[in-house]
Amino acid sequence: MVPEQSQQKIKKVLVANRGEIAVRIIRACRDLGIASVAVYSEADRASLHVRYADEAVNIGPPQPRESYLRADKLLEAAHKTGADAIHPGYGFLSERSYFAQACADEGIIFIGPPPKAIDMMGDKQSARETVKKAGVPVVPGTEPGMHDDDIIARAPRIGFPLLVKATAGGGGKGMRSVYKAEDLREALASARREAESAFGNGEVYVEKLLVGARHIEFQILADTHGNTIHLGERECSIQRRHQKLVEESPSVFVDADLRRRMGEMAVRAAEACGYVNAGTIECLVDKDKNFYFLEMNTRLQVEHPVTELVTGIDLVKEQIRIARGRRMGPTHDFLEPTGWAIECRINAEDPYNNFIPSIGTISTLTIPTGPGVRVDSGVYSGYEITPYYDSMIAKLIVWGEDRGEAILRMRRALEEYVIMGVKHNIPFHQNLMNSFSFIAGMFDTKFIEERFSMTTYEEAPQERELETAAIAATLFAHRQRQLASQVVSRGDRDTSNWKWVGRWERMHR
Amino acid sequence: MKYVTTISNKTFEIEIERDGSLLVNGERRVVDFLALGPSLYSILMDGLSHELVIEERDDTIEVLMRGKLYAGTVLDERAQLMAERSGGLLGDSGEMSIKSPMPGLVVAVPVAVGQAVEAGQTVIILESMKMQNELKSPRDGVVQHINVAAGQSVEQNKILVTIAELADEE
Repeated sequence: MVPEQSQQKIKKVLVANRGEIAVRIIRACRDLGIASVAVYSEADRASLHVRYADEAVNIGPPQPRESYLRADKLLEAAHKTGADAIHPGYGFLSERSYFAQACADEGIIFIGPPPKAIDMMGDKQSARETVKKAGVPVVPGTEPGMHDDDIIARAPRIGFPLLVKATAGGGGKGMRSVYKAEDLREALASARREAESAFGNGEVYVEKLLVGARHIEFQILADTHGNTIHLGERECSIQRRHQKLVEESPSVFVDADLRRRMGEMAVRAAEACGYVNAGTIECLVDKDKNFYFLEMNTRLQVEHPVTELVTGIDLVKEQIRIARGRRMGPTHDFLEPTGWAIECRINAEDPYNNFIPSIGTISTLTIPTGPGVRVDSGVYSGYEITPYYDSMIAKLIVWGEDRGEAILRMRRALEEYVIMGVKHNIPFHQNLMNSFSFIAGMFDTKFIEERFSMTTYEEAPQERELETAAIAATLFAHRQRQLASQVVSRGDRDTSNWKWVGRWERMHR
Repeated sequence: MKYVTTISNKTFEIEIERDGSLLVNGERRVVDFLALGPSLYSILMDGLSHELVIEERDDTIEVLMRGKLYAGTVLDERAQLMAERSGGLLGDSGEMSIKSPMPGLVVAVPVAVGQAVEAGQTVIILESMKMQNELKSPRDGVVQHINVAAGQSVEQNKILVTIAELADEE
């Protein structure tokens, strides 16, 4: 598309993000022999991405709007360090067209789509209009700019239940489910208020609320040579308050025919906005396998690793290759995934207490390893989780030859994963991996909120396990107290055949 | 040394003798307990191997075993005696406090002093990490104190609300 852009050199990448995704991008740079620059807020001096990068620049106070959302500081850091490209990761400025434009204006390569594509897809209504023209099905709903009275008049034709959505929306804000006609006016008003305060734009529209639908998305790759392909689907229906918790690829619900049809639709939708680089087409799929375009995410997704594991493609490396103006590696749609991949998002949240975020210092951390296990993490033992950022601290991704093997492997990996000092959602994932509905693949986007509870699948602890834990706790406490009071001195060590409690010799080394 | 150890509401009497041998509820057990590093331990018992992570936090001992977390207390004889005298061992008596799990902004306090609440009822809504979090009462009772008001910023571990035992109905 942009011939003069072809074969640009990228020698140093500034990573305009933090946490696990910054580490992920820095690793790709290392793999490619490209230097990396981390940026960090004052709360992130000790973060893993700063430790892994070749260079690091302080960009200000902890609050994102003072640091990670400051385009001027990021560009200044890029100039200062001589970075020739910026990777935005996800969140923060990744879907702000003005940032992509500012990079281009200052001669820095933005590793992502062109600003115009971000604009077309960023506004939900304009995205709907764009893909509709390309023949892509969208959820039935109203056009933009309608008054409440007109929306209310139109509603019966669309049919209840309805979903009120903010055109500038995201993260569940400005969204209301409406089941009865008489509730619509109030829902419109409160959604407008919420959207106005959250996004500075009170524009809303309504669309049909699909009951029992799944959230299934397609990974897109497009280069500047006119090639656009898809890399198959990701199943993302396991979510809570519109936040994804578990993703898999492929989806139990998608057969070869549906994959081909949805894949073609996804490629058409991406081409409709002149898309370049990695992106994702999110869809709702109803019980009868009718699918509808929901929105496009014009960036790398949190859940990109499950696609990487079943296609063998390194998406971040492809992003950099495409940004350089080269042809992307894969040349055709991926219709046959190899094996099965599942990702669990590890969040510092208490699953026994309404998933309330937890902060504090990670006192002990052991990361699972072994065949088919991958961990993308932004934390380490001794790391302090602060209240300023997202509660996701790591992603555990497993691969198996089939879904059954992947689930069993995930259970094993979750057992190996040790995170002490903060509350986290590993027990939630363990219960989910034991739930019959999940194992059977019978779930939709409301499964976690409406039909899953932490108590249903939690096995009561066995007598024997409790006894072992009690013995361990007692020996531990005994040892601590003896050490504290120096009751046992070195010379007193037992030399008999008794198994010596606590193996003091080791402790005193 | 005699200990009373409670894990997940189950109580064990465990005696560690001077030679290091162990009696659990009066029964002799052979236990090989090995420290592997900070917080990391190995137990061999009855031919079974267990890896454990053990840490003490706020007077509670946390034991992580095969991905399952057990929390409990270990009291020696003296501490046990004192606890019994003050009646503090029973979890359901006296007042309980709800602390802020993180710094944040109090959005709402949907209860009033003297109000009866049920276990699981929301008593405080706290905004932190860009999320509104509902803090719930851990048990049935009566709101005794409210130390914060809507709009107030709070530090971590501040006592927000205390819930007293429900008075017995006459």
